Amino acid sequence: MATMGGDRRQMMEDVAEDKFPEGLRILVVDDDRVCLMVLEALLRRCKYQPTTVMDAKTALRMLMAGKQQFDLVITDVRMPDMDGFKLLELIRLEMDLPVIMLSVDCDKKVVMKGIEHGASDFMVKPVRTHELKN
Amino acid sequence: MMDLSEPTMDYSNLRRQITFMKKSFFDQGYLDEQFNQLEELQDESSPNFVEEVVALFLKDSPRLLSNIEQTIGKYPQDFYRLDSLVHQLKGSGSSIGAVRMKNECSVFKAHCNDRNLEGCRRSLQKMKREHATLKQKLESYFQLLRQVGPREHAVNSRK
Repeated sequence: MATMGGDRRQMMEDVAEDKFPEGLRILVVDDDRVCLMVLEALLRRCKYQPTTVMDAKTALRMLMAGKQQFDLVITDVRMPDMDGFKLLELIRLEMDLPVIMLSVDCDKKVVMKGIEHGASDFMVKPVRTHELKN
Repeated sequence: MMDLSEPTMDYSNLRRQITFMKKSFFDQGYLDEQFNQLEELQDESSPNFVEEVVALFLKDSPRLLSNIEQTIGKYPQDFYRLDSLVHQLKGSGSSIGAVRMKNECSVFKAHCNDRNLEGCRRSLQKMKREHATLKQKLESYFQLLRQVGPREHAVNSRK
């Protein structure tokens, strides 16, 4: 990944040292059902606890409502109702939750945009197991 | 449990057919490593995972293709929306390992970027053909798998 800022690097190191245990509660946001289904299965296989939603507004509602607690958000970069960067910004503003951006392409501009908006990491679809474990 | 009335010759023939078919998908470039990843995700708790994901793709993608077609037909051209739709198709195709479709989506996106309507039209036709071929191949594959029955899946057969 490209270079990141201070506290984000710490977060990445935490993840690398496997400070994130099994049962990590992850909110996954993607407008495509096929991607969601595959990602959910992948996350469960890694022993995480994924919750899937198909749009950013629902994701925000769930996060704000606070009925369910999450440790991490994984969101697609591009969605019809609200783009991933906007969601990322709103999440970073309102709460201290790491957000991983997900996209089909590994366009440097898109990655940099994600980092500027406060993304903790960036992954390219299709995601592989080892990427998630790290 | 083993069904003793079923002749083992037919069973191993079927298994061979399945393995060969799957290998041909990889050799001819229809599927990539992601498909293997899907098979790895299949287990006792989700024994039909691959078939379900593929079925979902085959269910949703025609609608996407049709939206793409409608959007191409609109005037004035909305290349941004077109690109978004193709982007989604690329994502879902790549999630099941449909590498030819994924690659054609990249070409399509480049045409959108260039505002090349003719290029977009050509890409759409190519994608529709790719989609039809992929659908036919995958449906045959799962039909064969179903004949083999739930006792064994093609999980262990590699490229």
